[in-house]
Amino acid sequence: MVEKKYQPALDIFDKMLHGKLKTHLNSCVHCGLCGESCLYYLTHKEDKYIPGKKVDLISAIYRRYYTLLGKTVPKWVGAKDLNDETVAEMVDLIYGACTMCGRCSMHCSIGVDIAFLVRAGRSMLVEINKVVPGLQSTVDAALNTGNNMGIPRDELIDTIEWIAEDLEMELDDEKATIPLDKKGAKVLYTLNPREPKFFPLSISAAAKIFYAAGEDWTLSPDAYDVTNYCYFSGDDKGGAVITQRLVDKVAELGCETLVLAECGHGFRGNRWEGPNYINKSYPFNEISIVELIVEYIREGRIKLDPAKNTKKVTIHDPCNMVREGGVIEEQRFILKQAVSDFVEMTPHGVNNFCCGGGGGQLAMSEYAERRIKVGKIKADQIRATGAEIVVTPCHNCIDQLMELNKEYKLNVEIKTIGEIVADAIVI
Amino acid sequence: MNIYHYILLTASIICFLASLRQLIQALNKKGDLDYAEPKGTANPAISYSFTNAMSPKKKETAFLHLPTYTAGILFHIGTFLCIFLLAVNFIGFNIPEKIGYVIVAIMAVSIISIIAIFIKRIVNAKSRVMSNADDYFSNFLIIGFQVISCLAILMDNLLPLLFIYASVMLLYIPLGKLKHTVYFFAARIQMGRFYGYRGVWPPKRNKI
Ligand code: SF4
Ligand code: SF4
Repeated sequence: MVEKKYQPALDIFDKMLHGKLKTHLNSCVHCGLCGESCLYYLTHKEDKYIPGKKVDLISAIYRRYYTLLGKTVPKWVGAKDLNDETVAEMVDLIYGACTMCGRCSMHCSIGVDIAFLVRAGRSMLVEINKVVPGLQSTVDAALNTGNNMGIPRDELIDTIEWIAEDLEMELDDEKATIPLDKKGAKVLYTLNPREPKFFPLSISAAAKIFYAAGEDWTLSPDAYDVTNYCYFSGDDKGGAVITQRLVDKVAELGCETLVLAECGHGFRGNRWEGPNYINKSYPFNEISIVELIVEYIREGRIKLDPAKNTKKVTIHDPCNMVREGGVIEEQRFILKQAVSDFVEMTPHGVNNFCCGGGGGQLAMSEYAERRIKVGKIKADQIRATGAEIVVTPCHNCIDQLMELNKEYKLNVEIKTIGEIVADAIVI
Repeated sequence: MNIYHYILLTASIICFLASLRQLIQALNKKGDLDYAEPKGTANPAISYSFTNAMSPKKKETAFLHLPTYTAGILFHIGTFLCIFLLAVNFIGFNIPEKIGYVIVAIMAVSIISIIAIFIKRIVNAKSRVMSNADDYFSNFLIIGFQVISCLAILMDNLLPLLFIYASVMLLYIPLGKLKHTVYFFAARIQMGRFYGYRGVWPPKRNKI
């Protein structure tokens, strides 16, 4: 028997217990070899950070309530009750010591999807109101205001208008604009709320690319947030509400394609998880701006001059877009056209190390110290390339990279793909 | 067929049916339906999951831990060889003496490997912290199985012991850590499905 207050966690676990979850709960052989694949263990060298230990937090509970040996001789199989102690441990490690980057999963001896199990553990914690407060407040802001930073509608429109005015002046063309809520536009574009708040240049860069490509596009001040922090918190119901907003807006405006702004988890949340939150496929196309830029280049709709970007550039791969999202070569294709000196990090692509800001870590100030410490791996990777500019198609990663830049004195510029493309564009 | 044959046969059937049930449940897609538009396909990725993705060239847990990885591969080969020998003994086929010696030599390597892994689990602090009683017992069970299988090649009169021992092991497989015999395959398939659907595996270097 579990304490009544923890029963909802077991109820949701029971609902999630299909083939995939059963598989991964039963697969770990406790070899511990995954330690060296995880930025937390590599940084802290403490046993509790070994990914297999994080797996065990959830599988021990599974064994206790669902297996014969776990029910009868729990100590024998390391089965554990769901109680105050195990819940506290789960919160600390499942939220506070995992970015759900999936690096350990890809390298696990067996093939245990550790990040998937961590997400399942987070879903259990959602049901007993144990989401870390910082993360929960970001989720609440998104659910209550329509964007995770709680930006008022008027403030957003003001920001967009002055960006559009600047763009019109820069390009000396009144057609260079940012259309809002344009019915029948082909493309509905999204934003990470950090863009209007702190990085207006990213919006301006995207607008310039759309202008150069002659795209028929629009933005909606009522549904633009590409992020879905419910993916990180483990809240599928909230995830469905956020997903549905964009789905409804595409339908209302009659757009053909939803274009996802540069945000790793936003890409994953909308592209891969969103249809499963709402239990249906999207009736429209969905593509990331990175993939769309590749199309523009291929179709000759935009021309890039690498001579306009002569500084040495490297790329940071956002885990949710690359290893867990399948957008791997696209950004490399773009950079090879947009810059004259491109260098890869070691390792990179699907083997990249997380910057440390994923998994909702940037929203959890409770674990800020850990986040900066584990980011040293990324900082060292960047330094080793000798690059002057780090490009990444993710605003979440950008925030973390900016903090790493300061903390580890990297002295680099940090840009989005859109910004580096906008710098190289020939109009 | 004597009583030992019947005991082994019964244990094998129970183990097979329980494992089959676990495998079917593990691979059942109901409840795991994916509504997202796929970017790739599962089958090539599942093949990749069982081949290149497991190789020391790609897998960090292999290339950063080469001795453990090698010992692991060797003792798993030894275990499957023992299961094959068990079947051979069950049908009463006599292994020619020279082949028997070759098998014993291979088994010796396998036994050394699994004992090394067992010792590592006991003495290495990181391994110890990962382990529970079931891990040690399962490891020990396989060592015993390999040793008795090996001795039974040299001494016919050990066959009853081998049959009884193997029966206990087979009955334990679906219960404890040894069930990874089934779940290993399910996990690699699930991983292949996941990365295949998303267009991550197999890798398409420089192709978009
Ligand atoms: S590598 Fe895989 S099997 Fe080994 S401890 Fe880690 S999660 Fe478990
Ligand atoms: S998903 Fe990433 S952060 Fe989490 S345990 Fe695995 S490697 Fe570590």
